[in-house]
Amino acid sequence: MSALLEVTDLRKSYAGVHALDGVSLSVEAGSITGLIGPNGSGKSTAIDCISGFQKRDGGRIVLAGRDISGLPAHHIARAGLMRTFQTVRIYERLSLRDNLAIAAQQFDPATWLDEFLRTRRYRDAVAAAEGRARELVELIGLQRYWEIETGILSYGQKKLVALAAALMPRPRIVVLDEPVAGVNPSRIREIEAALAALNRAGETFLIVEHNVEFITNLCHRVIVLDQGRKLAEGTAQEIHTDPRVLEAYLGMTPEMAEAEMRGAA
Amino acid sequence: MNRLPLLLGIVAALAFAALPLVTTSNYVIGVGISALVFTVAAAALNLIYGFTGLLSFAQLGFWGIGGYATALTVVTFGGTFWQGLVWAALLNAVVALAIGYPTLRTGRHAFVIVTLTFALLVTLVARDWVDLTRGPLGIPDLPRPSAFGHRFASTAHYYWVAWGFSVLMLAFLYALCSSRIGRTLVAIKQNEPLVRAQGISPMPYKLAAFAISAAVTGAAGGVYTFHLGIIDPLFLDFYYMQTFLIIVIIGGAGSFWGVVAAGVALSALPEVLRFSADLRMIIYGVILVAAMFVMPSGIAGWLRERRLQRMREALR
Repeated sequence: MSALLEVTDLRKSYAGVHALDGVSLSVEAGSITGLIGPNGSGKSTAIDCISGFQKRDGGRIVLAGRDISGLPAHHIARAGLMRTFQTVRIYERLSLRDNLAIAAQQFDPATWLDEFLRTRRYRDAVAAAEGRARELVELIGLQRYWEIETGILSYGQKKLVALAAALMPRPRIVVLDEPVAGVNPSRIREIEAALAALNRAGETFLIVEHNVEFITNLCHRVIVLDQGRKLAEGTAQEIHTDPRVLEAYLGMTPEMAEAEMRGAA
Repeated sequence: MNRLPLLLGIVAALAFAALPLVTTSNYVIGVGISALVFTVAAAALNLIYGFTGLLSFAQLGFWGIGGYATALTVVTFGGTFWQGLVWAALLNAVVALAIGYPTLRTGRHAFVIVTLTFALLVTLVARDWVDLTRGPLGIPDLPRPSAFGHRFASTAHYYWVAWGFSVLMLAFLYALCSSRIGRTLVAIKQNEPLVRAQGISPMPYKLAAFAISAAVTGAAGGVYTFHLGIIDPLFLDFYYMQTFLIIVIIGGAGSFWGVVAAGVALSALPEVLRFSADLRMIIYGVILVAAMFVMPSGIAGWLRERRLQRMREALR
């Protein structure tokens, strides 16, 4: 069977340094796939190339059977790939409601002429987006901030707004760049639960994250990058016990890791 | 949606319409015309700078091209004043697209520099292309326009022309700024990568904002030229650019009503201060500096800060 997102031999180098040296990965529809690796392993470069925010040097990216390699970012988004950013990006001076409305705007059929004439098409599109936005705001638990500028929210809440915005147009796949970095632990559980619920409802995720526990709890498959190459791939359990991963990622031997895990339990 | 500013705006527009009925002073009515036209030009600058986040000094060039285009349509090409305004708007829109298309691909700083250079270039053309613009002597004795057999000969009558023009342009800009297009421009200013990640291409929006801003500024220049009755290279004095920019900054970049209110207030202020001819511009300067100290992001920014503060307290 073919995967929803199929990346083959992705290459990218900066001034002679191979940030990505022929990475291939695939994400099955309906799955949560984790992408982990030490700092500088190429995780962020990989998703920047996949989402069109950086030009790749080589490789092929296919989303739902359509070749999207080399397309500009906004075309890739229109093809159904939405992403969030490592340093949270939201419209801080717009209300939560407007943040979510803009996120869906490009995906409805209403034109400026429809808006000017207040056609049925425009009213239907606005009503549908509003309904979807309310649904997502309830999921992330920020109902009381509906009309409020998102700049006054906490960092963790802003990450939730960015997540909700990415989900607004019901994309084929959502790529999350470190969704819980810098978020306090109690909120991490909430984000985890929200993502699991969305996945049960059919949403597909590709997640880059440093937090190994978060990835282990959530992901069906985990891909490990190191120095621009794919080091390992498998279930969270397989990754945990893979000696190459422990060596590269944690700098530990399997015995040390086991002791660590026993200590944590 | 808060409808109060729109209601106040309509009331203020009607009150302004009555100005020639309450005074016969051509001086006061002339100040009224300046206030109306400058407010429109400032609102157009607000579209590209306040909403979209692109600081454009090209407005001065558009203002000048608009003035010359309108004057030349009437004097050299035998058209009417109204046709002149349309040509001023169209010509500026085309020029803006030609400058904007390559320049908007570069950074915001490059945009500032290119637009400034453009404004200086227009000044040179106005002074040195003597065959077309008559150089430093300018084009005097511009005839007042007429419509439906009525000639807007007196300053009071011309005031209605300026009023009608301003209300029309401000209504158009208001509709634009409060639409999804306006909201998208704000989004582009705040976070362009996010806009792209949401499937929106920023380029057409920026180009459209720049072209519309240029067209409106050009037409405003045309209306102002026929108020003065003469156009010469002084019409491209930096004073005008400075006035538009001060109005936008004091009003609050990105706030439609803040800029409109500041446009009216700041056009009147230097005239109100005429009681002391010697100190007039000094007092004006002190008021501007004081305003910036108290309200660094303009009237609208100050109001917004207070609103946010109340919200924070309510949420605590």
